[in-house]
Amino acid sequence: MSGNLASASLAAGPALLQAQGLHKSFGGVRAVQDISLAVPAGAIFAVIGPNGAGKSTLLNLLSGTYQPNAGTLAFAGRGLVGMPAHKRVRLGIARTFQKIRLFKQLTLLENVLAGFHIHHDVPAWQYFLPAGAFWRDFRRCREEARALLDFVGLADEAQKRAGALPYGRQRMLEIARAMATRPKLLMLDEPAAGLNAAEVALLLDRLQQIRARGITVIVVEHNMDLVMNVADRVFVMDHGEYLFEGAPREVQANPRVIAAYLGGEFA
Amino acid sequence: MAPRWPWILVAVAVIALLPHLLGTPYWRGILVICAMNVMLALSLNLILGYTGQLNLGQSGFFAVGAYVTTVLVKSFGWGFWPAALAAVAAAGTLGLLLALFAVRLRGHYLAIASLGFAVITYQVLVNWESMTEGVRGIYAIRPPPPIRIDGLVDISFSSPMMLFYLVAGIALLVYLALDNVVRSPIGETLRAIREDEVSAASLGIDAARWKAFAFGLGAAVAGLAGCFYPSFVGTLVPGAFNIVESFTMLAMVIVGGLGTMIGPVIGAVVLTFLPELLRGVGELRLLVYGLALTLVVLFMPGGLVQAWQLLRARFAGGRP
Ligand SMILES: Nc1ncnc2c1ncn2[C@@H]1O[C@H](COP(=O)(O)OP(=O)(O)OP(=O)(O)O)[C@@H](O)[C@H]1O
Ligand SMILES: [Mg+2]
Repeated sequence: MSGNLASASLAAGPALLQAQGLHKSFGGVRAVQDISLAVPAGAIFAVIGPNGAGKSTLLNLLSGTYQPNAGTLAFAGRGLVGMPAHKRVRLGIARTFQKIRLFKQLTLLENVLAGFHIHHDVPAWQYFLPAGAFWRDFRRCREEARALLDFVGLADEAQKRAGALPYGRQRMLEIARAMATRPKLLMLDEPAAGLNAAEVALLLDRLQQIRARGITVIVVEHNMDLVMNVADRVFVMDHGEYLFEGAPREVQANPRVIAAYLGGEFA
Repeated sequence: MAPRWPWILVAVAVIALLPHLLGTPYWRGILVICAMNVMLALSLNLILGYTGQLNLGQSGFFAVGAYVTTVLVKSFGWGFWPAALAAVAAAGTLGLLLALFAVRLRGHYLAIASLGFAVITYQVLVNWESMTEGVRGIYAIRPPPPIRIDGLVDISFSSPMMLFYLVAGIALLVYLALDNVVRSPIGETLRAIREDEVSAASLGIDAARWKAFAFGLGAAVAGLAGCFYPSFVGTLVPGAFNIVESFTMLAMVIVGGLGTMIGPVIGAVVLTFLPELLRGVGELRLLVYGLALTLVVLFMPGGLVQAWQLLRARFAGGRP
């Protein structure tokens, strides 16, 4: 399993995120077993695998939602094991959730604004008595939030409650909210699930734009069209274990991957 | 944001007029209680309404404000204002500590821990007789000292009217400060925590830290309300801080409208005056609170604010 690590590093320059021998079990279930990977800076790195393969668990380990039972994890050279999720955000790691976790009672604008939490530069007393720095920050965040809503095609619905949005748009809003943290690494858990064809096309375009902005992307996805179109590297998991890693074309042609999917997706 | 200053002027005018509309010393006394209740409801609403933490210990912080002020003044010879400042700091610090201790607790468990705090505080007041005089109580507590600048101002707080102006003025300042906080990025952060802590963490929000902040600030405001209680009543007994007072604060916040700024103010005013209008039976006050709370939770969970919004929507909808 260290073979894939070397190949990834060789293929695309320095790794932004590096994991070695990650393990995570829930009671008797070994959700992630001995996973090592290196995510090249500036790439779109797709993680695929059948249902229950451990993809979401892996993402939760990378984001700090869970801590691993064993293994090491480094982001831009800094160790992450033991660091809680909220601190990793300050290093530049952001994420979305497979089971959407928006602030449903808040408006779209408020959802994105909450994403600026780590970027406010206002003296503490001005939160009680707003003055110059407060209003500068206030305007800047609102401008940036509207730009992000525009980016995901939701500019016209800024004042709606997030819970009132259709499913596909909720996913796009989660991306805008994560982008508000100004990440270096953006991790998306099944962003295309529940999206219609037009929404998938928009998502694909936006993923490419995000990469063009220099943001590294890890995307867990079942939609193979999307993965094949947008990914630079594809990492395949099955039953919590590493199965294969390579360029999209190599993955499509690999007999072990095809066997894992029982021919379903690639047949 | 719509400008706030017209509403501030309205509030100032209402505060100025109220003691003249309700002219007897009795009703002016009720006004003082009302201004204090507004502060208490605002303080609980920050913790419960905006941050989503069920805190049933607010009567404990109210008690700390009242007793620390009074004991420092009467037994240690402090001036009223430094004593009040110390009492606010003490209540805020206790709130912070309780929140840090209870940080892993959610829902029922936080409610029980905070209730426990209120019970312990009450027991300390009853049993630490060398300091608090226990159930015998502390008597002859004087109002805050007059504010005098020679030849310019001379404001005495010995009348209920002037005490009302003082407490209501401070309540208004507290309202404005908290309103600023909940409209600021801090408000966005607290609401995010209320909605979903895992999601908030994915945005870099340290939920434990901000819950402690809300708890500490809310506790400090309850302590501030407590500073004025004894100097108004003139006596101080533990009975005034029974845990049932936590329940009355809860009723004010929920009846008015959880998680809005104006709701708890309305709730505090309505629930202070309603029992007075239905004066008679001794425990009627609690019956009114219980009934109001039950009806609101069952039929109008958004409280009076929601009722008003529904009415307004219907009214506006009826027009061409
Ligand atoms: N919090 C948890 N507690 C117990 N078991 C869990 C937990 N999270 C995941 N699992 C188990 O770990 C295994 C991997 O789950 P995971 O959600 O990581 O898979 P996945 O690859 O994301 O699947 P899907 O494609 O269906 O989203 C599954 O057997 C799952 O039941
Ligand atoms: Mg998953």
